[in-house]
Amino acid sequence: MLDLAFKNIKRQKTRTFLTVLGIVIGIAAIVALGSFAEGINIMVQEELEPIAGKIMVIQKGSGGYMTGFQGSDITDEQIENIKSIAGLEDVVPMSMYIGKMVPMRGPEWVVIGIDITKGRYFVGENIEMHDGRDFVEGETGVVTIGKTIADRYNLEVGDYFTVKNDDFEIIGIYELTNVGDVDTGIIMPIEDMHNLLDTDTYQMVFVIPEDVRETEIIAEKIEDEDEMLSAVTEKEMSREVSQVVDQIRIMTFGIGAIAAVVGGLGVMNTMIMAVMERRREIGVMKAVGATNRMVLQQILTESALISLIGGFIGLFLGMLASFGMTGFTGGFVTAAVTPLLAATAIGFAFLLGIIGGLYPAWKAGKLDPVEALRYE
Amino acid sequence: MSKEHIAEAKNITKVYNPGMESEVRVLKDVDLSINKGDFVSILGPSGSGKTTLLDIIGCLLKPTTGKVVIDGIETNNLNDRELAKIRGEKIGFIFQQYNLISSSTALENVALTMRINGKSKNEAEERARKLLHMVGLGERLTHLPSQLSGGEQQRVAIARALANEPKIILGDEPTGNLDTKTGMKILNLLKDLNKEKGYTIILVTHDQRISGFANTVINIRDGEIIKIIKKRKGRGK
Repeated sequence: MLDLAFKNIKRQKTRTFLTVLGIVIGIAAIVALGSFAEGINIMVQEELEPIAGKIMVIQKGSGGYMTGFQGSDITDEQIENIKSIAGLEDVVPMSMYIGKMVPMRGPEWVVIGIDITKGRYFVGENIEMHDGRDFVEGETGVVTIGKTIADRYNLEVGDYFTVKNDDFEIIGIYELTNVGDVDTGIIMPIEDMHNLLDTDTYQMVFVIPEDVRETEIIAEKIEDEDEMLSAVTEKEMSREVSQVVDQIRIMTFGIGAIAAVVGGLGVMNTMIMAVMERRREIGVMKAVGATNRMVLQQILTESALISLIGGFIGLFLGMLASFGMTGFTGGFVTAAVTPLLAATAIGFAFLLGIIGGLYPAWKAGKLDPVEALRYE
Repeated sequence: MSKEHIAEAKNITKVYNPGMESEVRVLKDVDLSINKGDFVSILGPSGSGKTTLLDIIGCLLKPTTGKVVIDGIETNNLNDRELAKIRGEKIGFIFQQYNLISSSTALENVALTMRINGKSKNEAEERARKLLHMVGLGERLTHLPSQLSGGEQQRVAIARALANEPKIILGDEPTGNLDTKTGMKILNLLKDLNKEKGYTIILVTHDQRISGFANTVINIRDGEIIKIIKKRKGRGK
């Protein structure tokens, strides 16, 4: 009798409101924090897109992809060694230079130095020019840039972009790709990059196998050939990243769950009080034919209802918080409330209602009608 | 058991805290048969066991020993669920404190009883409306108990007791909280239900005056029936 449950929880409005609030806070925390974890996951997976089907070779012990390969120095000699391995379509060395870092938002721009005839390995084959043109062989002193960076600094083809006191002419702007490092990237010939960093080594090498199915085997071969190198496939990275993201997920859920469990205790408290107050009424229900089970169900329905109301409001507020976070990080992390996260949050709220309501409902069901009816 | 008997109690004893120092024998070997259509008043001072007897007949309480038969059904071996079903189908309760649900209107209070016993909301409310009209509260359907006088609340309770078309209406001091005049009106209403609709009515009271309405007066003292007076006139149908 759902209408009756609604009616009953409306009796003590303030108490119900506070109880619902307890659940709202917990569920909102689960959703907001969880969406942040999902956002990080999506962001990282997107970052991995450019190396799909490729092998990324870096110096062992250097910083990884996320830190711009600090301290990785791969020499021409090492690259020649890699090239000697059979079954490779191409070997593309490159270097990165990370521009201004903004707290919570990551780098504002990233310079990628690459053999310009192979620049498309980084940018993607199907990405079109928004304006201007791509590189021609042998060009130096010029850059192509991502759409985000162009918009942010109001740059047009023909303008100059300054990196470490050197000016580079912008010859082309790529269309929006939604891959962070391309959209905020500045692509320049590797020769210019070498001058800029005053080095002749590379931070990383993209190795493209002829047969995608052999990616893992070739990665192993590279590591066997040169023990100074670490060859990582997208699969491997994705796996590692997933582990980290899973840990973040568990942690964020844990924090939210603690808050929600406290809310669940509130539900239990409220329902115990409600059962106490309504002893007589429960006695009457039993006198007129209600079974223990019906009484139990009625109380459980009420506690589940309180929790579910809290759950849905919490979900809504959590989503708002999630949009807020996306705004706060300037889109660097797009917090995402996935259907699974939403379902988990609502399911958790429901579970709290049932668990919190179980003891009071059981007590109500067991109430002796004779005692309950005479209760003063 | 005779077909005439709607309720029968055989050798009923009720002992609280048996074997302990605080043992109380509330009922001692009570035998009782109540005819269909009878208006019974169980009279006794407080502590005489009359309410316990009523609770046992009403299947709210199980006797320590003895047999209870309600409308041909032996209730001794029934489980809680089956007893609830008998209460729902065969018995209507009226209490001294009315025991209405304070947050529900008169109509909802009466309808709830039927919904508990499986009627749909619309069906239950339609019948509740009729019953409330019958007890003279046609204009008070949407009033909350707090907006009704004591007599009106008891009328709602009577309508509620009638909701599932019970065989027996049990009243525990139904006029105990009412002034004499209102109390008489309630008793008259019950008498009408007994006479015109044939409901079997059993009232527990310590008020001698109620006995005037009854066909059978059962005197109970210290857990034992000491006298049963059957009047000839005014039997039900």
